[in-house]
Amino acid sequence: MDPTTAMYVAQGIHGLAYGMVLFLVASGLTMIFGMMGILNLAHASFFMLSAYFCYQFLSITGNFWAALLLAPVATAFFGVLLERFLLRRIHAFGHIGELILTVGVSLVILAGVKIFWGTETLPVKVPPILHGLVTFKGLDYPIYRLFIIGLALVVLAIMALLLYKTRLGKIVRAGVSDADMVNALGVNMPLVFMFVFGVGTWLAGVAGVAIAPILTVFPGLADQMGMDAFIVVVTGGFGSLKGAFIVSLIFGELSAYGVQFISQLAPVLMFLFMAIVLIIKPMGLFGERE
Amino acid sequence: MTNKIMKWVSWSVFLAFLAVYPKLFGIYYTNVFVTFAIFALFAVTLNLLLGYTGLLSFGHAMFFGAGGYGTALILTHMKGVSLSMALMTGFLSAVGLALILCPIMVRVSGTAFAMLHLAFGQLMYVLSLKLRSITGGEDGIGGFPIPSFTIPGIVSVNMKSPENFYYFAIAVLGASIWILWFFTKTPFGSIQVGVRDNAMRIDYLGFKVPQTKAVVYIVAGGFAGVAGSISAMFHNLVSADGALHILNSFFPVMMTMIGGVGSFFGPIWGAAIFQVIEELTSRYTQRVELVVGLILILVIMFTPMGFVGILNTIKQKWTTYKIRRRS
Repeated sequence: MDPTTAMYVAQGIHGLAYGMVLFLVASGLTMIFGMMGILNLAHASFFMLSAYFCYQFLSITGNFWAALLLAPVATAFFGVLLERFLLRRIHAFGHIGELILTVGVSLVILAGVKIFWGTETLPVKVPPILHGLVTFKGLDYPIYRLFIIGLALVVLAIMALLLYKTRLGKIVRAGVSDADMVNALGVNMPLVFMFVFGVGTWLAGVAGVAIAPILTVFPGLADQMGMDAFIVVVTGGFGSLKGAFIVSLIFGELSAYGVQFISQLAPVLMFLFMAIVLIIKPMGLFGERE
Repeated sequence: MTNKIMKWVSWSVFLAFLAVYPKLFGIYYTNVFVTFAIFALFAVTLNLLLGYTGLLSFGHAMFFGAGGYGTALILTHMKGVSLSMALMTGFLSAVGLALILCPIMVRVSGTAFAMLHLAFGQLMYVLSLKLRSITGGEDGIGGFPIPSFTIPGIVSVNMKSPENFYYFAIAVLGASIWILWFFTKTPFGSIQVGVRDNAMRIDYLGFKVPQTKAVVYIVAGGFAGVAGSISAMFHNLVSADGALHILNSFFPVMMTMIGGVGSFFGPIWGAAIFQVIEELTSRYTQRVELVVGLILILVIMFTPMGFVGILNTIKQKWTTYKIRRRS
């Protein structure tokens, strides 16, 4: 492979890796926002919180794999608390109430993070096995980004199996279309929704741990990713995992190649894409009509 | 009869208070009040969409920004522009933006409306950062000359003094708010509320729903542009982070919620409460985010109808108490 093609391919894989992380965050958001109809603007804050937990667990245990397992679970715990004690009570006031509440929660998380860990950037080291480059036909590529792609695919497979092959997934999907009816059939729907919210924040947590070694951990981590994930969910269609997946990959490649060719206007591409999609299909690419 | 007199007396007291305010409280609080008034108008225009027509917008800042950039650009690039013309440019550029967007926006409602505004708002934000030759990028446009307020042959007031600018800003913003208040009291204002409550019935009654939405949208956008224009002249600066940032779209939504959605004066109360909170927190604590976050959570958990809701509850309790005592 000559160097130019190698560069294009490397840029493409970069885009794929970013798209995968984006998908992890967005899939959590699409479950919460798309399926349960909760406008959770604090989602990216959980993503950031998980990166901080990862740093903390790593400095206590020194084991990246332990951090990868524990940090998302700890994050999900906070997500469940939020759903159980705050969000559930204001569900009756619709999206605006949720907007205010979750903006408040994201501000509190931001302040909490600054109080506990300070404002400086914190490094996260990956284990030696994920260090270094892999060489393939004259193309050098960092192993860690390949690991992220693999991790996201595994999580995606688990999610798809859970949603489409288990009894729980069936209940969740039924609850999305008519929660009252499923409740009347004797299923404890509030508990199911709490579980879904927990899984959603867990997914954001996994993404937070995955991104921590690349971007380092700092309080502004949530801003960019939160906006991107939100756009993915809206463009892909509410509650559609397939839409979130495809749009995540498109956005990953758009930002990777956009930076290469028109670096000035690269961020515009995503919003332009979203605006065009929404003008043609107001419910998103794979969304169902209201 | 007594009610009418009371009304006149309270209005004159209020106007007299506004007139002597800069003398009483000094320059710092004068500027605080102008900031409050700018956000009050901004929140009122948002409430026209949210409270009266039922359209939640996450990109209202783009009209604020359009007004600000319009005023700043004409003052930078053209000589001999009068103050009212600069203000008019801000208003018209926001109206122009609303005119361009409204054919798309009136077709959608609910979440899609909110999200489309998010998209276009962010688009404007990124464009204003990147089109450096026009908008000045991160630095924004600043240092443009502020013309004097002149009525030829009669009077010329220098706007450089904060006190004079206070009177000008309060007059413009107050008049705008009054126009909007009048707007909601017209028959058209009632159709607007009808569109929010039951768009299909309004359609059956023979009124045109998309056109109604479009007019409200343009009015709300234009007056948000006035707020932005005053803000640009007040700070002598308009920048992407100050005018077009996503937080600037969230602020009026939060003010409306805190003050009370659906009531005309709710957003004004909300803007006042916001301003007071900001003043207090930035003075006494470093943790502004924590305090604002906690207040938002507490407000939505315990008083979802906002400040006006609390006032109404108190008023109701008071009347029942009086009636009970009489009987």
